[in-house]
Amino acid sequence: MDFDLSDEQRMLAEAARRYVRERCTLAQKRGLTAHSAGLSRERWAEFAEMGWLALPLPEAHGGLGGGPVEIGLLMEELGRGLVNEPVVDSVVLCGALLAHGDAGGRASELVEKLATGEALPTLAHLEPGDRNDYDVAVATRARRADDGWQLSGNKHLVRHGASATHWLVTARVEGADGLALFVVDRNAAGVSVTSHPMIDGTCAADLRFENLALASDAMLLAPAQAQAALNDALDRALLALCAAAIGSMEAVMAMTADYLKTRVQYGQPLARFQALQHRMAEMFVETDQSRAALFRAVAAVEAGAPRARAMALSAAKWLIARAGLFVTGEGIQLHGGIGTTEEYAVGHHYKAMVSFDKRLGDADFHLLRSSDLFHHAS
Amino acid sequence: MNLHLTPADEAFRNELRAFLRSTLPAEVVRRGRIGMHPPHDGDRSWWNRVLNERGWVAPAWPREWGGSGWTHLQQHIFEYECRQAHAPELRWQGLKLIGPVIYSFGTPAQKARYLPAILNGDETWAQGFSEPGAGSDLASLKTSAVLDGEHWVINGQKLWTTEGQFSNMGFFLVRTAQTERPHKGISMIVLDMKSPGVTVRTIPMINGDDSTCEVFLDNVRVPRSQLIGEAGAGWEQAKFLLGNERTSSADIHKAFADLARIRAIATIEQHRGRPLLEDGAFARKLAALEIEVRTLEWSVLRVLAKAPSEHPVGACASVLKIRGSELQQRLTELATEALGPRALREYKREQAFADAVDDPMWHEETPGVTADQMYLRAVTIFGGAKEVQKNIIAKLAFGF
Repeated sequence: MDFDLSDEQRMLAEAARRYVRERCTLAQKRGLTAHSAGLSRERWAEFAEMGWLALPLPEAHGGLGGGPVEIGLLMEELGRGLVNEPVVDSVVLCGALLAHGDAGGRASELVEKLATGEALPTLAHLEPGDRNDYDVAVATRARRADDGWQLSGNKHLVRHGASATHWLVTARVEGADGLALFVVDRNAAGVSVTSHPMIDGTCAADLRFENLALASDAMLLAPAQAQAALNDALDRALLALCAAAIGSMEAVMAMTADYLKTRVQYGQPLARFQALQHRMAEMFVETDQSRAALFRAVAAVEAGAPRARAMALSAAKWLIARAGLFVTGEGIQLHGGIGTTEEYAVGHHYKAMVSFDKRLGDADFHLLRSSDLFHHAS
Repeated sequence: MNLHLTPADEAFRNELRAFLRSTLPAEVVRRGRIGMHPPHDGDRSWWNRVLNERGWVAPAWPREWGGSGWTHLQQHIFEYECRQAHAPELRWQGLKLIGPVIYSFGTPAQKARYLPAILNGDETWAQGFSEPGAGSDLASLKTSAVLDGEHWVINGQKLWTTEGQFSNMGFFLVRTAQTERPHKGISMIVLDMKSPGVTVRTIPMINGDDSTCEVFLDNVRVPRSQLIGEAGAGWEQAKFLLGNERTSSADIHKAFADLARIRAIATIEQHRGRPLLEDGAFARKLAALEIEVRTLEWSVLRVLAKAPSEHPVGACASVLKIRGSELQQRLTELATEALGPRALREYKREQAFADAVDDPMWHEETPGVTADQMYLRAVTIFGGAKEVQKNIIAKLAFGF
């Protein structure tokens, strides 16, 4: 067992860190949030040039074949810089669906465009009333039409839904069991799109469609195949989000330590006060444990045994979400009033952790899932 | 990066399991799992000899001094499997504390004299570091050693000398010089606990037993040759000794054993006609601890494997101590929670080690659980209190 990075991995992490430091300042993020739904096409094109959009895609599809370690290294750096472009939603999550061995129809064409940045797909899975992508009561229906499909339903909180080029829509096919996955063009006539700003600076859309006509090659994954592919893709996205959360925690620790060293009260830097030192130490413990949970989950995803994988991922989500809220919340507290302002990064990291906590199953869901999995072990 | 066990590691694990299964008698296993402190004396002496015959008693030592030559990961697997099998807990003071100091800093004569006896368990060791006036602030210790011809003459008092009443030998931090910086005048010396002037008094503890002692040193004469290394080097040696404890301070192997025990208790204990384990609220508390223990294991592995990190390894080691000790306490708290009011019965050590009594009102998982909870109130205090560990992190990780 060794934790050493290869030269390629180290270069990937260093390039990402440099890019984020130079190009992803808080001022830029605030501008993007205000003017372009939290997404910069220019940056997305740069991500493509850096190879990040091809990173997890299989080499057979023009990708770089990166695994969870490479994605984790990239996402940690993007998390440090509060980068909101949909690397996880489009590249990791949709990329895994499009590149899935069972995927057909237009999948291979889309995956190649994803790698170059031409296509920006996003998953439309959650529906009104759902709380969690792992546990969705899909009511959207697909019906065979003469020369294709007809799709009817409502999709909720589709991330970057208005900015995407394609939606990957889960639906039940009449007369078949299980979920299928369809691709719908952003410009398809007959889809009502309502976009809402999110607290992390991104936007999410609600989609409504009734008897939406799709060509026959719009079905990417058939009913027997989509659920397993979806679970795998969600797991990979979850892992990537966990890595980004650790990036947020590291960033908050660094900026808080700097602040405590410079802010003088009662005639001395705040860093001299043991009560504050100990809070920083507690933040360090939580961040360290988060990283350990991530390594465990990476190992489980690499090894592939389904039960161990689900256990390690739920463990990571539960632990890292709690740790992230603690670390960033304490970061605000240690900054004092300035930490609660919009022009200071620590509060944005806190909002990123609130967003992380609510996505792909909250802490309660993952603790319950862990409990069930442990129970079945005995 | 390779986050997986090799086939050789898996084979090693299987070999260990077979060995443990065939070697440990049921009675030893029963006494090993109930968690009394100190553990059963005869069992741990026997186990020490069994392991030493195979060259497995001090895996981390250099091969020339009796180490096993295993990788760090294999040592981790070994400790894990021994715990899972409820093998007796070895005496750590010789094997893990003073042994490495002697083979690293001792004279050839000291190595030849002490190391074989430690390996075979023939001599047992007491640690004399803390004093009534020197706890977390160890460098302020006052016990003095003054040279008189060929002897050091030692006067002072030591505290929290665990198992001192059973020990033949002791290693003590003493002040051999008054220096401007107090830690520069500290030396480490070994002495025979039967020397004239050594008085050991046991301290009744809240776990119901006398697992630790205070030691009075009144004009104890110790040959010069028993000072380890140079006079004044004791502080560095003590830091080395504590540094060796980096990953074991997490006590991760005991944590895994405790999880299994909680599960066993909660399978027997009933709540509204069903095993407590099936109670949702309880099951979630247990799941949270399972997660935290399994997570901490990966922190241990990272420190063992010297994983690259943007933070100093010393800070990561303090994390192991803080989180490991907190988990130890929470695990025993959940174990007694699972026992409910049955946890309130006080068991004495001898009583717990005696043959299991067949009384359906007191199932076999009852003895020792509460005593362990009481004993482990000390785990966030000894070996560098939790607050000291936080100071260390603040300094190393943040430069405060």
